[in-house]
Amino acid sequence: MATEVLWWIFAVAIVATAAGVVFSRSVIHSAICLILSLAGVGAIYAFLMVEFLALTQFLIYGGAVTVLILLALMLTRVGATGLPDKVTGAQAPFAALVGLGLMATLIGVAVGTKWPNDIDDAPTNIPVEQISEVLFRDYGAPFVIASVVLLVALVGAIILARQEEGE
Amino acid sequence: MVPLENYLILSAVIFSLGVYGVLARRNAVLILMSVELMLNAVSINFVAFAAYLDPNKILGAVFAVFIITVAAAEVGLALAIVIRLFRNRSTANVDEAATLKW
Repeated sequence: MATEVLWWIFAVAIVATAAGVVFSRSVIHSAICLILSLAGVGAIYAFLMVEFLALTQFLIYGGAVTVLILLALMLTRVGATGLPDKVTGAQAPFAALVGLGLMATLIGVAVGTKWPNDIDDAPTNIPVEQISEVLFRDYGAPFVIASVVLLVALVGAIILARQEEGE
Repeated sequence: MVPLENYLILSAVIFSLGVYGVLARRNAVLILMSVELMLNAVSINFVAFAAYLDPNKILGAVFAVFIITVAAAEVGLALAIVIRLFRNRSTANVDEAATLKW
């Protein structure tokens, strides 16, 4: 019972902060809402009993990714001149239509489908050792490929963002 | 005991908010933040399905690890592109970087 109450508190907080990311007029407010929203998703992983993912979520998203985004916001700040910028384009009503339609469809499918034995199977704890075993043994090749992807992305980002001669 | 549908509905709401943000926002960095929301919604789905329906309960977590990895690579690369765009055009708004649409 207490778990359900906590779950609903976190769910409402995640949805509220996600809405803050999307609808807020200030980019800094959006970034702070994003941090809170990602931390809430980490809490959801904790509810699903995957502690390793919860920790990873806090470290990678709460730490690395949001710091990167804040840095980019700082570097791309247009001078505060006069009127505040429009935050959404003219297509916003259509975007809202697409979002609402997608939400209705997804919720309809999620509620309408008969899932097998989903009530009896409570989430049980997944130890880190088990995850590492599967990740490094069964999925070793994708793991190596993912590291190559990271390396290439890193080098590419440096090349793209570098200040070149004569600029 | 939270049923599986709750996780699916939560993930659907977050994903739809992300879709709205990607389609409606002008600032490229804010679009990236909406993409992060969408990726997180997908991860929630993976982990929830694994926790409730997968007998081994482990593959969803592995998928989520890869999603986090690729998301980190994607956000680094995309922010480099945004910074480059800002340096060349003095704007981070995607509707002002429309040279092909002369």
